Amino acid sequence: MGLARAYAVALVGVAGHLIEVEAHVSNGLPAVIMVGLPDAALREARDRIRAAILNSGLEWPGNKITIGLSPASLPKGGSGFDLSIAVAILAASADAVTPVEIPGRAVLVAELGLDGRLRPVPGVLPAVVAAAREGIDTVVVAGQNREEAALVPGVTVVAATWLLEVVMWLRGGPRPVAFAAALEDSGARGGPGAGAAAAPRDKRPVRDMSEVLGQYEARRAVEVCAAGGHNLSLLGPPGSGKTMLAERLPTILPRLTRQAALEVTSIHSVAGTLAAGSGLISQPPFCAPHHTATMPAIVGGGSSSLIRPGAASLAHRGVLFLDEAPEFHRNALDALRQPLESGEVVIARQGMITRFPARFTLILAANPCPCARADSGGAGCDCSPATRRRYLGRLSGPLLDRVDVKVRLDPVSRTAMLGGHQAAENSAVMADRVEEARDRAAFRLLGTPWQVNAEVPGAELRKSFPLPPGALDLLDRAMELGQVSARGADKIIRVAWSLADLAGMPQPTARECNEAIGLWLGVPR
Amino acid sequence: VSQPCPGGQFSKGQFSQGQFSQGQRPSQDEAVARATLTYLAEPGDARLARLVADRGAIAAVEAIRAGWSPDHGEPGTLWDGGDDARRAAVRRAVERWRTRLADVPDPVDLAGLRERGIRIVCPADPEWPSGLASLGDERPYALWVRGSVRDLAAACQQSVAIVGSRAATAYGGYVAAELAASVAAAGWTVTSGGAYGIDGAAHRGALAGRGTSIAVMACGVDRSYPAGHEELLDDVAAAGAVISEWPPGRSPTRLRFLVRNRVIAAMTAGTVVIEAGQRSGALSTARHARDLGRILMAVPGPVTSDLSAGCHAIIRDWQAILVTSAPEVIEGLTGVRPGHAAVSPRRRPVPDDVPVARAPRDQVTIADRERAALDGDAAAVLDALPARGSLSTDEIAVRAGLHPRIVLGALAMLRVHGLAERVDGGWRLGPRR
Repeated sequence: MGLARAYAVALVGVAGHLIEVEAHVSNGLPAVIMVGLPDAALREARDRIRAAILNSGLEWPGNKITIGLSPASLPKGGSGFDLSIAVAILAASADAVTPVEIPGRAVLVAELGLDGRLRPVPGVLPAVVAAAREGIDTVVVAGQNREEAALVPGVTVVAATWLLEVVMWLRGGPRPVAFAAALEDSGARGGPGAGAAAAPRDKRPVRDMSEVLGQYEARRAVEVCAAGGHNLSLLGPPGSGKTMLAERLPTILPRLTRQAALEVTSIHSVAGTLAAGSGLISQPPFCAPHHTATMPAIVGGGSSSLIRPGAASLAHRGVLFLDEAPEFHRNALDALRQPLESGEVVIARQGMITRFPARFTLILAANPCPCARADSGGAGCDCSPATRRRYLGRLSGPLLDRVDVKVRLDPVSRTAMLGGHQAAENSAVMADRVEEARDRAAFRLLGTPWQVNAEVPGAELRKSFPLPPGALDLLDRAMELGQVSARGADKIIRVAWSLADLAGMPQPTARECNEAIGLWLGVPR
Repeated sequence: VSQPCPGGQFSKGQFSQGQFSQGQRPSQDEAVARATLTYLAEPGDARLARLVADRGAIAAVEAIRAGWSPDHGEPGTLWDGGDDARRAAVRRAVERWRTRLADVPDPVDLAGLRERGIRIVCPADPEWPSGLASLGDERPYALWVRGSVRDLAAACQQSVAIVGSRAATAYGGYVAAELAASVAAAGWTVTSGGAYGIDGAAHRGALAGRGTSIAVMACGVDRSYPAGHEELLDDVAAAGAVISEWPPGRSPTRLRFLVRNRVIAAMTAGTVVIEAGQRSGALSTARHARDLGRILMAVPGPVTSDLSAGCHAIIRDWQAILVTSAPEVIEGLTGVRPGHAAVSPRRRPVPDDVPVARAPRDQVTIADRERAALDGDAAAVLDALPARGSLSTDEIAVRAGLHPRIVLGALAMLRVHGLAERVDGGWRLGPRR
């Protein structure tokens, strides 16, 4: 008969909250009562825990057991509480010969198998980050989660394979050593959903911009977007290289800073798309949802206790590529407006609000017409002009308002195919230039809330960063002639700044402005 | 006092209208009498207008209060009832006016209203808009004014009415606001009716142009009609005036809007109609403007739009001037094109180096010296452009011997000037080559 306390972590989005797990063993009819807003998966824990304790050769107290999870108001879900509940029950049970002493500054995060094995769970990284923030110095996780947990500095990671190991340690025995390598049977790997989604990351072939032949405008557009954080729209017939270019944008983006890498890895950890042993994600992620994706798949969703990040968050600090953009569901596209505006997704459910960071570079790709036959408009395409206009009209105005660069791609010409190789720069050269450009922009924008040119509002751009006389002559003329709208002019100026940053100029001259106009007017409307 | 007064009490000489000359403030009694008339009769009542013209406002009010009857009139004057039919008509008119006697505040508290920011302007006031004189017997008895304008006459000296449908399209609203903003910025007062749609857009545009705006209401100036325009009307009052022929507190009726329109037309130099349907109230303003000899202008819309059908009709049938921009409106009003020396309207200067028979100036074939003005890079790119088919930026770069970055900037310049165009497959010479 007794009371014991252990600590675990509940996740709301990617924010961890320390949870006190209390177990009270008292006289009464044998029963396990769980209080504190557990969800269905967590309720199932009692059967798993009972089996795990018995199969570990430990004693299950045959009394009334009350388990409290506090703060009680926070919804809790998932299987990561198993270990902490099991240990708390054992510590509260006075029958044991040697008492289980739970160190006050330890957090236990692992699922239990019926055989008493510790299983990995998603979201270990943000959980350990939260624990560290609360002053916890020791975390106990499953062996497969060891590397992920060890990404957080200043926390001792105890990785175990069996519940018995943990219990022996808490009774004063040796610290467990996870023989993770010995357990590499297929069933024990990764968290839920890890296998399929994570695999492509490891197998992703090395891509390079030098593989893109010709397409000067498109290459330049991708470079500008990388430098200025602009969103990009690619319009062109199949085979013109839209996907190829989009996939290569991450290769010229700067590597993630440690802070950004932690954010990105946390999101992927919660989503369960982090491969075991992959460590910190330091390359900007690339996420390309299929056009049948639903709104929750794009921005995230789920039941109140377990909300998963969507593609927009998985692309955080990286690239979100929407191929065949007009084919996406309208509501899925429109849901992107909030993250494009604020850099985060806010999902409201009964009683709680979950936030996921989602600051990404958006690339929209579209065929000029729904029939998508090669070289649309020419032979083979029988779409009427109205059909073509309607097709592209499916992209809503507010979404396109967030796109600074639009380029039109054409099938690669034979000359470019044959002779383009020597001209094509590789990703490393472009990445250097992009990084310098980003540094230059960040320096200029010191003291402002913005970091890249794309984030600067048009009014602010004109007020705080006026251009030298003469730079905008052509733009003024184009506006007079009605070829460029006021909104379009803001975008052109923003892109001109990125071009100047790339060229190492203190500010755009007529040359950069004209090139920006060229990129803008290159798309027939 | 219901007892009939003897007709001789109102002798013609005593209250002749000549007693107030323009430019001299009317007496307090005159102002109170005119205020009382606005309570008693609907504006545009010719019979009352003649009575007032003949005997003066003070005597007219006294006569109505006393229940004057034509039976007591002096033979051979307006006060003479004449034949039986006319006598009966006059009697009915007096009856009509007398029914509202109970409505008249006693006394009419002009000082109190002035504290609420409302004043009355009478025809004898120096600030009485001179244009209203053209209304003859239908001119207002007085105008109630709420707003910052100190001199209504001066504000109306250079003014234009912009009116149109309440159910305006985005196009109409946009044009109204743009026109109003530009003419207001050029110093013209924009007058309209304060309604939803074109009226509201015109007021908003005038305010945005930091100009003066006048809203002519069909209800008391203290009322906000439509209610959704309360804030707008307050803004108009702050930057101009909200005026009405009806006394404070009166609500609008359908007929009052039509009666009101003659004032809008009369007090402005011209009227611009934007988006009026075939039966739009704006056409009544247009009709008044035409009949009063004011300049009538209309903004065209799509010929398929029912909302612009009225505009097209007055252009065709009433020779309204077709206007599309603020300079054209000002040109229509003054006969002078803004920014130009006075020329007779609708005659454009013809550049001497362009043969007149050619296309309009904006579309002439590029002159050789314009080609020469292009910088070297742009000229090289222009030479590299194909007339048929298309070339990609990379191919043009090879042909012109320039870096693609330079080519893109040069293409932008050529594209803006119509010398290059983007087609499926790349770039080629533009329509102006």
